[in-house]
Amino acid sequence: MEAGHSVPKSQPTVKSFAKTAAKGFNVHVNDKYYAAAFLGPSLLILGVFVFYPMVRTLYLSLFLTNNVGRPTVFVGLKNYVSLLTSAAYRASLTATGFYVVGVVVLTLALGILLAQATVQKLAGIQWFRTIFSATMGVSVSVAAIFWLFIFSPSVGLLDQIAAFFHLPVINWLTDPGWAMVAIIVSTVWMNLGFTFLILFGALQMVPPTLYEAADIEGASKRYQFWHVTLPMISPTLFFTATVTLIGAFKSFGLIDLMTAGGPNNATNLMVYQVYKDAFLTGNYGMASAESIILALVIALFTLLQFKFLEKRVTY
Amino acid sequence: MRRIRNWERWGLAGLCLIIVAAIGLGWATHQRATTAQANTRTKVVFWHEMTGPAQQELLTLVKNFNHSQTKYEVVPEFEGNYNEAVQKIIDTHGTDASPAVFQSMDISTSQLHHTGYTTPVQKFIDEDHYPVQKIASGARAFYANKGVQLSMPFNTSQPVLYYNATLLKKYGITPPPVNPSYQDITRVATQLMTRSHKKVQGITVEIYGWLFEQFLANSGESLANREDGHAGTPTAVNFTGPAAVQTMQWIQTNLKRGSFVNYGAGANAVNNETASFLSGRLGMFLQSSATIGQLTKGNPDKLGITYYPHPDGQKANGVAIGGASLWISNDKTTHVQRGAWDFIKYLLTAKNQAAWQVATGYLALNKDSQKEPELQALYQKLPATKVPGEQLRAATPNNTNSGIFLQGLIQARILTQTAMEQIYQGSDPQKALATAQKSMNSYISNNNRSNGYS
Repeated sequence: MEAGHSVPKSQPTVKSFAKTAAKGFNVHVNDKYYAAAFLGPSLLILGVFVFYPMVRTLYLSLFLTNNVGRPTVFVGLKNYVSLLTSAAYRASLTATGFYVVGVVVLTLALGILLAQATVQKLAGIQWFRTIFSATMGVSVSVAAIFWLFIFSPSVGLLDQIAAFFHLPVINWLTDPGWAMVAIIVSTVWMNLGFTFLILFGALQMVPPTLYEAADIEGASKRYQFWHVTLPMISPTLFFTATVTLIGAFKSFGLIDLMTAGGPNNATNLMVYQVYKDAFLTGNYGMASAESIILALVIALFTLLQFKFLEKRVTY
Repeated sequence: MRRIRNWERWGLAGLCLIIVAAIGLGWATHQRATTAQANTRTKVVFWHEMTGPAQQELLTLVKNFNHSQTKYEVVPEFEGNYNEAVQKIIDTHGTDASPAVFQSMDISTSQLHHTGYTTPVQKFIDEDHYPVQKIASGARAFYANKGVQLSMPFNTSQPVLYYNATLLKKYGITPPPVNPSYQDITRVATQLMTRSHKKVQGITVEIYGWLFEQFLANSGESLANREDGHAGTPTAVNFTGPAAVQTMQWIQTNLKRGSFVNYGAGANAVNNETASFLSGRLGMFLQSSATIGQLTKGNPDKLGITYYPHPDGQKANGVAIGGASLWISNDKTTHVQRGAWDFIKYLLTAKNQAAWQVATGYLALNKDSQKEPELQALYQKLPATKVPGEQLRAATPNNTNSGIFLQGLIQARILTQTAMEQIYQGSDPQKALATAQKSMNSYISNNNRSNGYS
């Protein structure tokens, strides 16, 4: 009886299952329409403004372009070969590497330092917090004028100070070695406001109980920094490192306004070379090849970052 | 969180509606206003790259033109620097955004001509029987090819040497002669350095491809083969000729000795050298005559001007002009092109050219301008301002001093500037120039291939 009852009982279950399945199929079809409706507009925009230009860049990089920018002669990978065998372009790659590492390391180090300094609750600390994040509100052109004034060879602030103390005067922007330093310093200064703000926020999120516990254990302040603070802010640190890295690869404004890639191509970073070939000399084939190389390099570095740094991130 | 009250919600919605309506209304009125204007006057969009006093004067001339007639309205639009403007002109051609008449720099002449995007002004000169011989022949020749005037010369300058006459007098130094050789410059620079106990810097030669080209022109050496492109499409450049190498050696030697100083390249270099010159810390520099206006305004010291220096032991061959010309795009209606030509003619009248030289330092191209009282008054007040015009007239035009008819001169400038930077930092001139030459030759061969010239 029990079993006899159970059979007819299960029938509606099967039926309803089938019904649900049928319904589920319908919902599935509807889902497709919904998905298309929701994704369509953004896919269209991405397609027109991201995917098409990417494919077009790849296509152009295989051609020589004529004086109105049309691809006319197919040269295969010759643009890439001539770039990678040119000493000037390899120098540009090295300069970019140097610049990116310098900017990322200094931005993060100084950012943590400033955030750590202002996370204490002291009278008037708000004022410093505002000052340290203020560069976020400075436009690139204003920053460039500001730093040009500081680095100027005849009326510059730095060289006047140097002259006052009878120190040797440095040609900040006309000496190839120093020009790179000057550019890195200005970029780090520009980046610092944002990095400081993000890291400051992260530091405030670290539960004070952890420090109390560490204090009770008798851990030194330095030990606390390396073993409590850093692990706790590591996700934020990782985010900032990635964003700063990609931003550094794409730096353009300060370089254009301060050194224009000079002196002697010392600050001729990859993006600047793309700009020169595309917008000054109309050499679109070459510029496209350089863009592809730049995109690959950024992808590679970001990948490496995820592979090696993310392991050390504790979420 | 506080709950939003009903009246607040309606208020906010109402406010949004009002803002949207206001924007819409504003846009509609704007559109109607522009169409109404277009109905009465034909718009002629004019792209230019002038800054500072030259921009002010140009805008005044445009305004005067618009007041002088009722058929056309010239709309001036500033397009940034010379280099970027060329690509913008090419990239916008055939669209609504393109200009009807535009200013483009000297070295873009061959490139713009070869795009086929322009109507040679020769067409209008012929139609109007325009007395073109009134316009300085040296300037016209630069923008002509095989007897056809491609564009009209407009802002035309000469590279010159500026010196601070007051400073030289103070230290008892004989000024350089009107047509100086390299030796003359070395002498004055060294004396400035030693007699001022290094308080005054001797001279700076900006890292600028244009100046490099002029050194070659003044020594009579071609920069590109096929007679600097005047006899056919060039296939190679010559950066390593004796004059180029000797000139670079001359600068390098004196940089090492300290009588020459390096201010770098680009706009910053120009700003810094001008500031130093005006504050009496720099005795001499080489620059375009177009900066005269800037150098005389509020300068307490007496300004001295000479011709561009030439190599020792030979006569000066004469330098090429610099600056830019005015082109008419062929993607506009005949009526608009006619308006563009009327505007160009207006800019080149004797009176306007005189006013242009007085305000900017660019040379008055109309021969009748010399009689204009405005220009006469300037010569009386500052006799040195006569020098650039005299230099232009002193040179006999030939293939090495009438510009280089080569596409990709911007690339050539980028490369020669890099070579100059290396040389200024102490590299071997011959080697640095050879590297630049090799890169340029591969650029030219690619360019000739892609355009079907070879």
